[in-house]
Amino acid sequence: MKKMLLLLSLALLVVLASYGGAAEKVTLPIAVFPDLDGAYEQCLPLFNSEYPDIEVIINSLGIDDHHAHIVTTIAAGTGAEDVVAVEIAYIAQFVAEGGLVDLAQAPYNATDYSHSITPYALKQATTTDGRLVAMPVDIAPACGFYRRDVFAENNIDINDIKTLEDLFAAGEIITKDTTGDGRNDHWLLADAASIYDMIIHSAPELYFDEDGNCQVNSDRFREAFTWAKRFHDAGLAGAIGAWSQEWFAGFQEGTVAYEPCGAWLGGHLEGWMAPETSGKWGVAPWPALHEGEEPMAGFWGGSYLAIPEQSQNKDAAWKFIEFIATNRDSQITAFKATNAFPSWMPAWDDPMFEEELEFFAGQKARLLWTDIAKAVPGVVTYKYDAIANSIIAAELGMVLHEDKDIDRALSDAQRQIERRIR
Amino acid sequence: MAVKNIDIQNLKQKNMKRHMQRKEPEPLVNVKSGVSKFFLYLPLVIWALITLYPFWYMLVLATRGPAEIFRMPPPVWFSKALLSNYEVLLDRLPFWRNLWNSFYIAAMASLLSMFFCSLGGFGFAMYKFKGRNLLFNFMIATLMIPPLLGIVPYFIMMSYFGWVNTPRALYLPGAAGAYGIYLLRQYILSAVPPDLMDAARIDGCTEFAIYYRVVLPIIKPGVGALGLISFIGSWNNFMTALVILKQRVTYTLPVALRSFQGAAQTHYGAIMVGATIAVFPLLIIFAFMSKQIISGLTLGALKG
Amino acid sequence: MEKLEAGQIKINPFRRWQKKAAPYIFISPFYIAFLIFGAFPIVFALYLSFNTWTGVAGTAIEFVGWENYYYTLTDPMFWDALKTTILIGVYSGVPQHILALFFAFILNLGFVKVKEFWKATIFMPYITSAVAIALVFSVFYSHPNGFLNYIFVLLNNIPGLSSLLSWIGLDPPVNWLANTAWMRPAVSFTVVWMFTGWNTILYLAGMQAISHELYEAARVDGARWPQIFFRITLPCLKPMIQFAVIMTVIGQMQLFDQPLILFGVHGGTGRAGYTIAMFLYQTAFNWNFFGSAASIAYVTFMFILIITLITKRLLRSHEEVD
Repeated sequence: MKKMLLLLSLALLVVLASYGGAAEKVTLPIAVFPDLDGAYEQCLPLFNSEYPDIEVIINSLGIDDHHAHIVTTIAAGTGAEDVVAVEIAYIAQFVAEGGLVDLAQAPYNATDYSHSITPYALKQATTTDGRLVAMPVDIAPACGFYRRDVFAENNIDINDIKTLEDLFAAGEIITKDTTGDGRNDHWLLADAASIYDMIIHSAPELYFDEDGNCQVNSDRFREAFTWAKRFHDAGLAGAIGAWSQEWFAGFQEGTVAYEPCGAWLGGHLEGWMAPETSGKWGVAPWPALHEGEEPMAGFWGGSYLAIPEQSQNKDAAWKFIEFIATNRDSQITAFKATNAFPSWMPAWDDPMFEEELEFFAGQKARLLWTDIAKAVPGVVTYKYDAIANSIIAAELGMVLHEDKDIDRALSDAQRQIERRIR
Repeated sequence: MAVKNIDIQNLKQKNMKRHMQRKEPEPLVNVKSGVSKFFLYLPLVIWALITLYPFWYMLVLATRGPAEIFRMPPPVWFSKALLSNYEVLLDRLPFWRNLWNSFYIAAMASLLSMFFCSLGGFGFAMYKFKGRNLLFNFMIATLMIPPLLGIVPYFIMMSYFGWVNTPRALYLPGAAGAYGIYLLRQYILSAVPPDLMDAARIDGCTEFAIYYRVVLPIIKPGVGALGLISFIGSWNNFMTALVILKQRVTYTLPVALRSFQGAAQTHYGAIMVGATIAVFPLLIIFAFMSKQIISGLTLGALKG
Repeated sequence: MEKLEAGQIKINPFRRWQKKAAPYIFISPFYIAFLIFGAFPIVFALYLSFNTWTGVAGTAIEFVGWENYYYTLTDPMFWDALKTTILIGVYSGVPQHILALFFAFILNLGFVKVKEFWKATIFMPYITSAVAIALVFSVFYSHPNGFLNYIFVLLNNIPGLSSLLSWIGLDPPVNWLANTAWMRPAVSFTVVWMFTGWNTILYLAGMQAISHELYEAARVDGARWPQIFFRITLPCLKPMIQFAVIMTVIGQMQLFDQPLILFGVHGGTGRAGYTIAMFLYQTAFNWNFFGSAASIAYVTFMFILIITLITKRLLRSHEEVD
C-alpha cells in the first residue's frame, strides 16, 4: 500500500512538474527588417516543434527605421526586443558601442560553432578583445541578375562579359530609345551607383583599413567613382532609385537588363516584385575590374542576430538565435523562403543547392552563389561605417548628378569623415 | 456656502446678449456686378478644390489595389479593393489598437490641458501677484523654444523614468502648455468681469471654488476650443511619438503608418486605408465643431 | 465657512492667505511640468552639447568643451541642411502668406455667402496628420505614373503648352521626388497646402477687427481698391502678420514630418530634402552622436532666434517702434 502511494505521488509529482513546465510559456519578441520577417515566419513551425514553449513575436520595420529603433532602445536601456537583427552595415557600430550580450561567453559559447560559420561574417561581429556581440545568420554573396531575353535580343552572351569594359560595351548596345521620344527607355542598369557598389563591395577593406584609417581617398574609390560616372554619362543607367515603384516596374517590364545585387534579390523578384518574369532571369558573377583579373566577388548585405543586455529572456533568446544560425533545417528554410544565403557552412552541401531554379531558366543559381561566397574576401568593418557610407553616397550623388570633380569629391569625403570621427 | 446664483445668471445673460448682438458686419463693398463676383469667387473655388482633392484622392486610392495605383493612367474613381486592402492593413498592424492608442493619448492630453490651462489662465488673469508679469512673459518666451531642442534630452529623461514606450510620455509633459494658458488667460480677461471674484468671495467661496463654480462655466467655449486643439495636436504628433513608441501595439496612427511605409513591400492600397482612418475622425469632429475650433484658435492670436 | 450677514465683510486670516497663495498654486502645474519637461531638457541639452556621448546607458559622458560647436559650425552637412531648410522655408512660407492674405481679403469683402463653409474648407488641411497627407502626396507625385505627371503629360501634348512648359524647365513626366530641381518645391507645396488655410483664418480675424470707418473714409477720398489694400488693410494687419510669420518661421525651421515621409531618412537624391531636423534626428538616433546633436539643436535655435528678431524688426508696426 505504501509503495503504491509512493508511486502514485511520484507519478503525480512528475505530471505536475511537466504540467508546470509546460505552462511556462515564454513570449519572445524579436526585432527584424524585411525580408527576415518572411524568412523567420517560415522557420517558426520548425522552431516551435523543438521549443513549443517559446512564442515568437516578429516585429518588423523598414531597415532604416529598424536600426534607429534598436539604437534608441539600446541607448535607453529599455524597450528593445529580446532578439534584434543587425545588418552588416550597422554591425560594426554595435560591436564598438556595446549594449549587446557577449555570445562567446557561457552559457552561450557561440564560438564553439566557429568552424562552421562563414569566417568573414564571424569576424565582423567580434570585437578586438574577442567578444562576439552578434551571431551571423545569413550572408549575401552578390552577383549580377540579368535578363536573358534582353541579352538574347541584343545578341549578347553573358559569358563574354569578362571585364567592366565588356559590360560597358554591352550596355551601349542594350540602352536604346525605342519610342523615339528622344529619351532612352531601355537601360542596362537602374542606377550607375551600382557600378560603384560592385567595385567597393568586392574590396577587402571597406571605408576604413585595419587600423581605422579612412581610406576613401584611394585608388580603388577613385576607380569606382570614375567607372560609375562613365556609365552614368553614357546614359546606360535609368536614374531609377532602388526600391521605388519604377525600379519594380523596370524588372517587370525588362527595361532594366542588369542589376548587381545580393542573392536575396532573387527571393524578392520571385516572391513579389516580378513573379511573372519567371524564367527570364539568369545570374552571373560580376565582371573583373581589370583585364586578366578574377571576377569581382563581393557581398551585398548580411544579417546578424543579437541579444540586448537589457533582455529578460536571454535564455529563450539564445535558443532562437542558435536555432536560426546553426540549425541546418532552419538555414535551408530561410534560404528557400527569401534567398537569405546560409552563413552556416555545413548547410551548403544540401541537395537543394543543386536544384535547377525555374526562375532562372533552370540555372543552378545556388551553386554559383556558393562559389561567390567562398571567393569573397574577408571585409574589414569599422564602427563608423554607417556615417562613412552616408557621406560617400552624398558625394557620389554630386559626382553623378552635378558633375562634381571626382578628386575633389573624394578628398571632401575623406576630410568630412575624418572630422566626424575625430 | 451658497453662491449667489443670481449674479451668475445675470452675467450669463449679459454675455449672451453681447454675443447675439455681434452681428455680421455689413459688407465692405456691394459687389453688384456678377462678373466681378465671379472673378472674386474663382480663386476661392480653385483653392477649395485644391484643398479637397487630396482627401478625395486618398479615398479613391484606398479602394484600389497596389498595382492599380501605379499604372497609367492613374485611377480617378473608386474601385472594389477596399476590403482586401483593409485585410492587408490589419494583417500587418494592429491598426484598431493603434487607433485606440491615438484616441486615448489625445483624449488624455485634451482633458489634462483643459484642466491645467484653465487653472493657469485663471491664475494669471484674475489675480495680481508679485512677479506676475515676469512669470507670464517668461512663459510666453518658452513658446519660442523649438521642440527640436529638447527631443534628445526628452528621450533620455523618458528612458530614465522608464516611460519609454508608454502613453504617458506623450500626454503628460505637455499637459500644462504655455499656449493653452495664454489662450485661456486672454479669454478669461475678455469674458469675465473682475468684480465677479470679489462678489463670489463675499459669498464665502474658496479660491478654487471660484474657479470651479463661477469662472469655468463662463469660459466653457474657450476651454472647449482648447480641448479640441489639444486633441488635434496630440493626434497628429509624429516626431515625439516616433522616438518614444517602440512596439507595434503601442504605436499611434502616424507612427504605425510610417512603420508600414518602411517595409520593402509597401502595400499602398493598405496604407491609404490606414491614412483614411487616421484622417477622417478628425475631419468629422471638425465638420461639426469648425466654428468653435477656429474661433478658439484665432482668439489667442487676436488679443496678442 | 461662516454664514455672513448682509453688509458684514469678514475675512479670516486663512482666507486671506488663500487669496494670496491661490494664484501661485494655480499656475504651478505649468511651472512644475515646465521645469521637469521643459527646462530640464533644455539645460541638459546644453550640458550634452559640451560633451560626447553615445547614448548607451552606462557609457561615459566625456567633456569636450566647444568642440561640438566648432565641428557643427564647420560641418558642410550642417550648412547644407540649413540651406535646404531655409530654402524650403521660403518656398513654402512666402506663397502661404500671400495666398492667405489674398483669400482673407476676398472673404472679408463681405459678399461671400456661407462664409463659414469657406472658412471651414480652407482650414481643413491644418487638422490633418502630416504623415497621412505626405503619404498621399507621395503617390500623387510618383514618377512616371503619378496623377500630377499624368496631368502634365496630357498638357504637354497640347502644342502651345509644351513649349511653355519646357520654358519653365518642366519636361514631363517629372520625377518630383527624386529630381533635385523639383524636390524642394514639391515638399514646399505640401506645406503650403497644409498651412494656407490656417493663415487665412488668422488674417481674416485680423481684418475683421479693422473698423469700416477707415474704409469709408478712404473711399470718400476716392481711393481705389489696391490702394486701400496696401495703405489701410496691410498696415492695420501688421501685428497679425508679424505673429503669423514668426509662427511660420519657427515651424519651418523644424520641418520634419513631410520630408521624412517623401524622401526617406537620408533626404533623397543629393540630400536635397534633408532638413536640419532630419540631420539632428540622424545624428542622434542613427549615429549615436548625442553630444553633437545637442550642439546642432542649439546652433539651430540661435538661427531661429536671429531670423525671428529680424522678422520682428522688419514687420514692426508703428505702436511698437516707440
